[in-house]
Amino acid sequence: MSSVMSVSGLSMAFGKQKVLEDVNLDLAPDRVHVLLGSNGAGKSTLLRCMLGLLKPQAGSVDFLGVDVRKSKAPLRELITYVPDEADACDWMTATDLFYFLSKQYRRWSPEKVKELCERTQVPLKTSIKSMSRGEAAKTMLVAALAPQPKLLLLDEPFARLDPPTRELVLGVFLEEAPLDGGAVLLATHDLEVAARAADRVLLLEGGRITTQVDVEELQSDGDTGQRLTARLRELYTPAEVEQAR
Amino acid sequence: MDWKTDPNLEASPSRQIVERALDAIACGDLVSGDSLPSVRKMASEALVNHNTAARAYRELEGLGVVRPENGKGVFVTRSGKKIARKRRQDETLLVLQRAIDGALRAGHAPESIQALFNKGKRRDA
Repeated sequence: MSSVMSVSGLSMAFGKQKVLEDVNLDLAPDRVHVLLGSNGAGKSTLLRCMLGLLKPQAGSVDFLGVDVRKSKAPLRELITYVPDEADACDWMTATDLFYFLSKQYRRWSPEKVKELCERTQVPLKTSIKSMSRGEAAKTMLVAALAPQPKLLLLDEPFARLDPPTRELVLGVFLEEAPLDGGAVLLATHDLEVAARAADRVLLLEGGRITTQVDVEELQSDGDTGQRLTARLRELYTPAEVEQAR
Repeated sequence: MDWKTDPNLEASPSRQIVERALDAIACGDLVSGDSLPSVRKMASEALVNHNTAARAYRELEGLGVVRPENGKGVFVTRSGKKIARKRRQDETLLVLQRAIDGALRAGHAPESIQALFNKGKRRDA
């Protein structure tokens, strides 16, 4: 099975500051990949390279076999992104944003927008700058699902949401994740989200991928009495999670 | 039904879905012909990724308690209740046997175990 996205030998620096060093990973179809890493580990930079927004100093990012920086619109619009903070123009309402985006994406589904907005109660007439964090997160998720992507990238979309909203947004994401031949990469440092969502866990430390493991391998079904979250914690205990508790 | 799983438990999320379904079928909350949520819906309700939900469904299907029908969904089979109940009975008997062995080794008198059993029986009646 060929990868949806393949990153090889990727290195990225801002000035003298090395952010990513020789990153190699493959995003397999039909799977949710969770990218774990502390703040500053390079998660967002890696996502921006995958989106083709940043040009790496070395290495390549291929999407469905084509260099993502050279890919043309029909291919490029199959990658969508949920940022950690809403990145739309402040004055726009959700309706404005969806209208604007619907013109950019050939596969944009107004039915999907309607269904998801009703289900998650996105306030359509509120400007994005006046939205709560939860409302903005829901809006961004709908905007990323409506184009029916083949690769969905998410950067900490569930962070700092109140528990009921977090559960709602996580549930919609898990139900709608584009896994019919597509792939998902979810960057987070929330181990519970990772345990729920991941087929495969990738650990990014100091700009390098240090661990890649399938959750099924971690999972013991109780025979060793090891819980999944505990196994993930053995792999990874981010400083900021400890502080947040 | 509440399908939400807990990743902090020993049993994997997929096992938790299987056990909850078996439980519901064994005690008649889900009966022959009832449908389970679609795999995607289950993913959203159990808060698991849908490969996990699909794995749980494959296992339930393997046990013979549910059966997919073309495009219509996944349904509890006619023999589902019998199978689920048999499984539950085997499991609970095993646990009970172990508990009795443990209690005897710990020095409990057989009579006091018997009394506890009778008390439980009366409560159930």
